[in-house]
Amino acid sequence: MKHVIIGAGAAGISAARTLRKQSAVDEIVMIATDRLAYSRCMLHKYIGGERDEKGISFVEEDFFESNRIRFCSDRTVTKIDTSNHQVCFADGVESYDKLLIATGAESFFPPIPGLKGAKNVFGLRDLVDARAIKSQGSKAKHVVVIGAGLVGLDVAYGLLEMGKKPTVVEMADTILSSNLDASAALTYQMKFEEAGCMFKLGCKVEGVLSDASGQVSAITLGDGSQLNCDLLVVASGVRPSIGWLADSGIVCERGVVVDNYLATNIANVYAAGDVTGLSESWPNAVEQGEVAAQNMLGMPNEYTDTFSLKNTIHFFGIPSLSVGRLNGKEGDVEESREDRKRYQKVILRDGIPVGVILQGDISRSGFWQQLIKNKVDVSGRSKDIWKVSFADSYGIEDNGEYKWLFD
Amino acid sequence: MTQRFSCSTCKSADKVLEQFISDLPMETSFHRVESQEVKCEFGLEGVCCRLCANGPCRITPDSPKGICGANADTMVTRNFLRAVSAGSGCYIHIVENTARNLKNAALAKDTLKGTKALERLCDMFGISGGDVYSKAIKVADAVLIDLYKPDFEKMDLTKKLAYPPRYKRWEELGILPGGAKSEVFSGTVKSSTNLNSDPVDMLLHCLRLGISTGLYGLTLTNLLNDVMLGEPEIRQAPVGLRVINPEYINIMITGHQHSMIAYLQDRLGDEDVIQKARAVGAKGFKLVGCTCVGQDLQLRGSHYTNVFDGHGGNNFTSEIILSTGAIDAVITDFNCTLPGIEPICEALQIKQVCIDAVAKKANATLIDFSFDVRKATSENILDEVVAAYKIRRGIVPLRVLPDHGNDTTLTGISEVSLKAFLGDTWQPLIALIADGSIKGLAAVVGCSNLTAGGHDVLTVEMTKALIAKDILVLSAGCSSGGLENCGLMSPEAAELAGPKLKAVCQQLGIPPVLNFGPCLAIGRLEIVAMEIAEALGVDIPQLPLVLSAPQWLEEQALADGAFGLALGLPLHLGLPPFVTGSPIAVQVLCEDMKTLTGGHVLINGDAEESAVLLEDIILQKRRDLNLA
Amino acid sequence: MRRIIIDADKCKGCKNCSMACIKAHKSSDATLAFADPQFESRNTILLNGEKKYKPLFCRHCDKPACATACMSGAMIKDPKTGHVIYDRDKCATCFMCVMSCPFGVLKPDRMTNTYVVKCDFCAEHGSEPSCVKLCPTKAITAKEVK
Repeated sequence: MKHVIIGAGAAGISAARTLRKQSAVDEIVMIATDRLAYSRCMLHKYIGGERDEKGISFVEEDFFESNRIRFCSDRTVTKIDTSNHQVCFADGVESYDKLLIATGAESFFPPIPGLKGAKNVFGLRDLVDARAIKSQGSKAKHVVVIGAGLVGLDVAYGLLEMGKKPTVVEMADTILSSNLDASAALTYQMKFEEAGCMFKLGCKVEGVLSDASGQVSAITLGDGSQLNCDLLVVASGVRPSIGWLADSGIVCERGVVVDNYLATNIANVYAAGDVTGLSESWPNAVEQGEVAAQNMLGMPNEYTDTFSLKNTIHFFGIPSLSVGRLNGKEGDVEESREDRKRYQKVILRDGIPVGVILQGDISRSGFWQQLIKNKVDVSGRSKDIWKVSFADSYGIEDNGEYKWLFD
Repeated sequence: MTQRFSCSTCKSADKVLEQFISDLPMETSFHRVESQEVKCEFGLEGVCCRLCANGPCRITPDSPKGICGANADTMVTRNFLRAVSAGSGCYIHIVENTARNLKNAALAKDTLKGTKALERLCDMFGISGGDVYSKAIKVADAVLIDLYKPDFEKMDLTKKLAYPPRYKRWEELGILPGGAKSEVFSGTVKSSTNLNSDPVDMLLHCLRLGISTGLYGLTLTNLLNDVMLGEPEIRQAPVGLRVINPEYINIMITGHQHSMIAYLQDRLGDEDVIQKARAVGAKGFKLVGCTCVGQDLQLRGSHYTNVFDGHGGNNFTSEIILSTGAIDAVITDFNCTLPGIEPICEALQIKQVCIDAVAKKANATLIDFSFDVRKATSENILDEVVAAYKIRRGIVPLRVLPDHGNDTTLTGISEVSLKAFLGDTWQPLIALIADGSIKGLAAVVGCSNLTAGGHDVLTVEMTKALIAKDILVLSAGCSSGGLENCGLMSPEAAELAGPKLKAVCQQLGIPPVLNFGPCLAIGRLEIVAMEIAEALGVDIPQLPLVLSAPQWLEEQALADGAFGLALGLPLHLGLPPFVTGSPIAVQVLCEDMKTLTGGHVLINGDAEESAVLLEDIILQKRRDLNLA
Repeated sequence: MRRIIIDADKCKGCKNCSMACIKAHKSSDATLAFADPQFESRNTILLNGEKKYKPLFCRHCDKPACATACMSGAMIKDPKTGHVIYDRDKCATCFMCVMSCPFGVLKPDRMTNTYVVKCDFCAEHGSEPSCVKLCPTKAITAKEVK
């Protein structure tokens, strides 16, 4: 049996690992546009110089050899020929018995007049982007980042490390608005500002201006003002990377459409990770890669954990996590508390935690995700929501592992 | 993020204080409770022994004995005796100093403010002849002679102080104490490595320590202080953080030895000293009461309203009072001086002075009190305090809380002033008890701790439950500090009492919870009990009277508790005193004690349940006395 | 693989396990080296609502959520020993592992937030967990499990 995996990100690597673990004999081929299996979540560390290219790898150095995987690096798949069980490159083909599409997502460039075609404009999704930002950044005088989400701030952080003072433009009124509430976000905003970063919040980018050579020179904002800009990074979100599948017959909506077994509409073709649009989190992608691989091996397994409203953030030595809802809706109960080291907020609905934000101190807090994901009613447990922990659901399996005892 | 030190602070019955603490930018005991929440059960049960190099040994089902062979009963009672000995030692230290101060004051012919108290003591001791000074010297000597006796010589005053039926029972049980200091000594020896292993013998020794602690450490300390410092007079006084007036140079006092600060206290009102304050921009000096010595000042407050602002709060309020920034110095004469005040004093540049080496704090200047040089040392202390004021005021932020506490706490209650209030006889009170207007008496005493539900939580909740059952509550100790700050010692608290007690309180204009002052005043409560028993012609255990130390904290409280058991009283505790690992200790303390002294220990940490248990006991005693 | 088996009913909250863990991992010779960033226990004891002791130890899960969540390759399940091992040098301190541990065992270090405090089964002590050795009630024991 020959398995071909397109993409060497979280889902692809996890699938390859699973395939090899379950089958010593099957042939595994991985195809990637880069020459490394690197972690996108560490690209900013590369930009900032904290790590080199090797340092952002998330697999063992001998991963491909020791797992007997043929790694086709620097290869771009142009299309899939499902009738002939082949993936096609510009200069050749690779046949497969089972195929996994794990090409992830790509930066989304919003339709801003003048953006398309402007030079010195990048997203931050790939190592290619990171290399470009790093090299252009060293020369740039006015760096602007569009978007103050996690990626935007990653970029800003990397640029600050380079000694740049970037300006971050964001439509929302707070930074990290899909990850934190206003209070927790403000803590980071102040730290970024202290470090030299500027924010333009509640601000829409109306246009991108370029000079005669096509280089970006300025952006215009909703309030009519203009910002000089010689390097623009667009961090306005990502979209599943599916453009190249247009004529393949594989049904796509927002992402590649898969069933519970992560199979596409075409026999023997599976998809996992961000390309499915099921979720945009690393653990979910790893999990999907594993499940897809098992199904490719004929060991039926369903992917069930689609809970992806979770994130951790760590800038300037202040860790945060958020799980579930960030702000209470009508009828929710919000409990929050704050001191010089931490900010904590829990949102409850009918006694069930539906959201938590912890900032400053996230020690031993992993149980929150379980409470939220499993909709555990904690109202009967303790008068004090801050004393809730795994201790109240403490169970032990025969093999000594813990298990949650839900009442 | 805010400047708040931590958002997980422990609860207090005092909600204003709880909020204030929760917002503080500095660490206090309230902040440390959570981090100490997981308690070692070996310690809780008293089955950890560190008496020798083979240890620490701990009792488990697989290791039922220490290496030496000591079982749980031996370990527990040995640990318990050591604790009671230490606690007794604390009180005996206090009475020793107090007696010495009285003697020295008499020798120096200082004004003795409580001549009536002196007369009562002389009557009790059988002393007559001579002027007040020679009488005072004889009284003090009688006490000191007893304290210094060896353990094989019984103390003489025991018989004169004790209620005769009790004395008889103690004699039968062989628990009449020898010299009080020596009893502490032998308690310590007995509980050392590989000596006594007899749990019952050690528990009986605890009773003996209880008697010497109670009659000498408690009762006599009060009475000797009354001679020197004046007798309590009933009045209403302000309590809580509101008593702090930032316009003055403020000295917070902690400890138990009122007579040691008496000279300084008097000096603060002198014009030349006030001038020292004015010279640096303050209106004068004020003492802010804290812990039991603060209760003592409050109790006798009518004698020096000019320099005493009022009582701020109990042991665990000390850090909070300091955190207001409006205190310039702390003078410590004894315990309940938490180590936790040290970093606060350092941060807020508060001068720490200790006047008794036993309570020397790490950051404090030790200016050991000595009667001969009290004038010079007092000037020395005043200069230190003024210097601190000059440095810190204006720099240190103030966080005053003028709305905390109340102005209406009834204080100045003693066995004498209360009886006088009732017309120099206990008959009115006895009549109210007899007709059921007052169901019974509960002495809610002892400390405050942070673990029985939080600061004063069990004390206040249980007291509320007791008064709602028409039980009159008498309090002495840090329990009083919490109860008064929560308003239960103000006449308005009558509203919280049951209908019968409420009517009594409203008629007399008194609160349903009477404040006898410091923990030392447990001795005063004993006199009240004794005199009522005498009037009724019964023994103390027959009275519809219960004793509770719901939030006992220290070893001293255990010695107090031993006194309560020797008196034959039911003794309620909110938390067990590290004895539950020993079946024998539990059996003796909770059951067999009933046949020994008539008392027994009951443990319950729930306010409502505890009140019901205590009410049941009172009702049974009423039935036994044929009261309806 | 070997796993620390917990009998919570036997726990007396004495914290010997925590002290043993600290001792096995601290870098300073001092007994109570608060300034030593390594002076920190990987395990702890929780109390439930009824104030019962519930020891919290890394289970080295068969399917470790911390390793799944790790985007740097720092947290991996060792196929040979079965233990989940953590490589501080690889760690990018995103703390997704902290969030993902279903039982709330993991934590960032208390002083610097620059690494994850994680049980290593006392690999440097012959893989005989120090906590187990010092438990006075055998509430924790190391056993071979499937």
